[in-house]
Amino acid sequence: MAKLLEVQNVTKRFGGLVAVNHLNFHVEEGESLALIGPNGAGKTTAFRLVMGDYRPDTGSIVFKGEDISRQPTHARINRGLGRTYQVPRPFHGMSVADNIRVGMMPDHLWTMLRHGPDTEKERQIAARVGFKPGEELRGPGELSMGDLRKLELARALAAGPSVMLLDEVFAGLTVGEIALISDLLAEERKRGMTLIIVSHDLRSLGPLVDRAVVMSFGSVIAEGPFEAVMADTSVREAYLGT
Amino acid sequence: MSEKRSFNPYLGWAIFAALLALFPLVASSGTLRIFIMAFYLAIFAMSWDFLSGRTGYVSFGHPFLIGIGSYASAILSYRYGVPLAVSIPAAVVITLVAGTLFFLPALRIRGSYFALVTLAFMEMTYRLTQVIRPDLTGGTRGMSGLPSITTGAFNNYYLALVLMLAIAVGLWALGRTRLGLALSAIGMDEDAVRGSGLDATKLKLFAFMTSALVAGIGGAFYTHYLQSIAPRALFDISFVFTIIVAVLIGGAGTIIGPIIGAFFLTFLLEYLRPVFPGTERYFIYGTIALLLYVYRPKGIISILEELWARWRGYEPKKAAVHG
Repeated sequence: MAKLLEVQNVTKRFGGLVAVNHLNFHVEEGESLALIGPNGAGKTTAFRLVMGDYRPDTGSIVFKGEDISRQPTHARINRGLGRTYQVPRPFHGMSVADNIRVGMMPDHLWTMLRHGPDTEKERQIAARVGFKPGEELRGPGELSMGDLRKLELARALAAGPSVMLLDEVFAGLTVGEIALISDLLAEERKRGMTLIIVSHDLRSLGPLVDRAVVMSFGSVIAEGPFEAVMADTSVREAYLGT
Repeated sequence: MSEKRSFNPYLGWAIFAALLALFPLVASSGTLRIFIMAFYLAIFAMSWDFLSGRTGYVSFGHPFLIGIGSYASAILSYRYGVPLAVSIPAAVVITLVAGTLFFLPALRIRGSYFALVTLAFMEMTYRLTQVIRPDLTGGTRGMSGLPSITTGAFNNYYLALVLMLAIAVGLWALGRTRLGLALSAIGMDEDAVRGSGLDATKLKLFAFMTSALVAGIGGAFYTHYLQSIAPRALFDISFVFTIIVAVLIGGAGTIIGPIIGAFFLTFLLEYLRPVFPGTERYFIYGTIALLLYVYRPKGIISILEELWARWRGYEPKKAAVHG
């Protein structure tokens, strides 16, 4: 399979802190990759570098064969990257449907002015992540954490991504909600979506991924099939500190 | 959604326009003049709200934009004898261009820094009018005896009314598009807007240019209504606060809110004048504004929406971005 997204020797410093240090990893088309590691390993920073929230000090990020390191976030999204946030960030004054509508918008003022929303497609996306008919009219304030995660997924899917970066997708969820989100992600995998998932919930993550990349102190310490990586001594040491 | 619950906004605008159109038949010219001031304040408030109420970028320098429109039309018509039919559109274009050029760097900064930069623009313009070509700007005294578009309270009432309604309906229609929704989204979470694949800077620039356009139109017409320009009154922080308070009292992020706020503020101050001729009335006005912010932060519009909802017998809506 071809490499769809590649992080090449990326370093990011914040003052004296090296958050990401010569980081290298890639994801192939249709693959599901776990990006794991203990707290402070640099996973979220890596995500933010890929999404364009931060610019790398050195190295590059290549997506679909193109260096996107200097591109702004919205340009990366329009090229096919999608993301959800560690803490859900819905547009609080809007309904679920309006949140999805923003995700579906083309980045073109005249088209936004001239053409109305595709409400049918909005409903389809809402249904795709498990919202029942009519629930798309609810506001984020009326949603549970599980529903907020669904809304994040829906808004990301609305932009039509080919790779989705999911940051702590199981955080704050009940057991039932974790199962529900896991099913949704498994469904997206079947559709051919490429996934990069950050999560501390390794038990839930295992069945969803083909491969894992383990980070510690900003660098990759292990990489390979999930089960094999979890059995790696250096990974156990990084997690347990022993 | 049942038929009973629907509110036809077109009908609402038509009734609102019809009531205001019939009002001069029963009102004195003094009352009409108060209305004219309320119409212009509503225009300025809508202009401010389209940028600041929607996107959350609080502008303290809106008189800068209003001032460019006012000065440009005044100088062109008064100093160079350009007809108003040309000077006013030219002033609007000048506001749009000059305002955009000045504010373009400011669009990359956020929060209180943006507010301070816009405030600096206003102060800077005030100083510049005194030192750069005072023979054109009139310096600290400003200008008086400017040509008027029409005469009398009756005619000016209708002129200001049509202007306000045209701007209100235009902005309202714009707010109902997907573009309007995206601008509201910026006010809620700008990073999430970028994360949805939208160029937030481009959207903010559009909001700013629309706001500048409305401010330019309002400024140009207003100065010819007053037939004068007084820079100290125009580039004054209390003028900025009057605009902002009108929006916040009425309801930010909507169209009808700033109109209601402008009317409320103008009439409150005007009708308190006989009772409290001094500055005491500003204390009452401040107290009312404070109580509204504390207890109804979404403004008078939220009270009206709740009353409407109760009258129709259903729960008031919680998530709404369209005005």
